[in-house]
Amino acid sequence: MRLEDYKAIFIAVGLIGILIIASPALSLTLSLPLGEPFSEIYVLGPEQQFSNYPYNITEGHNYSITVGVGNHEGSSTYYLMAVKFTNQTELPTNFTAGVPSSLPSLYEHQFLIQDGQTVLKQLTFSISEASFSENQSSIEKLTINGYAFNANTVPEWDASTKGFRCWLLFELWIYNPTTGLLEFSNRFVNLQLNLKST
Amino acid sequence: MCSQTLLYSTAQNTAHPQINIQNVDSKLQAANSAIIQAFNAILDAEESGANVTDLINQLNVGSELLAQANIEYATGNLSSAANNADAVLPIAHEVLVDAQNAKQTISVSGQTTSWSTLALASVGIFSFVLVLFLLWRWLKKKYVTNLYDTKPEVNLHEA
Repeated sequence: MRLEDYKAIFIAVGLIGILIIASPALSLTLSLPLGEPFSEIYVLGPEQQFSNYPYNITEGHNYSITVGVGNHEGSSTYYLMAVKFTNQTELPTNFTAGVPSSLPSLYEHQFLIQDGQTVLKQLTFSISEASFSENQSSIEKLTINGYAFNANTVPEWDASTKGFRCWLLFELWIYNPTTGLLEFSNRFVNLQLNLKST
Repeated sequence: MCSQTLLYSTAQNTAHPQINIQNVDSKLQAANSAIIQAFNAILDAEESGANVTDLINQLNVGSELLAQANIEYATGNLSSAANNADAVLPIAHEVLVDAQNAKQTISVSGQTTSWSTLALASVGIFSFVLVLFLLWRWLKKKYVTNLYDTKPEVNLHEA
């Protein structure tokens, strides 16, 4: 091997060694690009699985579900989960508009989640003060986790399921530190229910 | 009319001496502001590199109380709503102070760590380059010596 060949090897080893030794200092100034930030909300059944969702419901019985919220925003986030109760007419249809449902929230829950973490919230709900007549029904009260709320919902009759259709709607709102306000994150999930008279 | 108003107001105060909707509403707003303030402090501390897990767990206790207070307010249980709203304030205040202290501590130690890292990296690079340079000199000298040994006519000429 000639001296020039050794020179090339020394230069290459030198550069690699300098990069390795300088890497802790470089990590202080350089930061890797993060992926797209997002949050997620989903509903699980009573066994915290994607199964066994309550569907056929009757007045006076308790039903359990679990709502999961995941934070992938890149920093700790303050969330508000708003629970609404609706029929087909008032169910949101435009999923890209970024506009929350105009229905009032019945039940709200605020919590903080660190980046990369997920929180599961147990919810138990029941219907009461429901009235039925031919193809009409109305629900006056919805109880969530022991708290009774005025539902005032009129579910529509569904001949195929022989029940009255209604939905539990879960909206996810996020606190924006810049504006100081809770803003709708355009993340929501709904659970369809089929109310039976007996 | 005036005496009737006085009687009514006295009766109301006797039944709910310090609790009315406006009072509870302002307590809820104060509790909400306290939570938000504490959360902003946590964000600052997190941005500085502090570990905020415990702070978040602590503030979640407060936000749970606030959520309960809001629900109780909506369902008409004003006294419980007021109590829960009041209970939020010391929790949020403690988290706010702890988060500010955590940010301060991590800023100071972070600066020290940065300077130490830069200094060590500089010393490391300098040492490495020096070792390489000395190694190169030794290799070059050895190469030339070997060259002279393998070319006796060069040595003969010099002699």
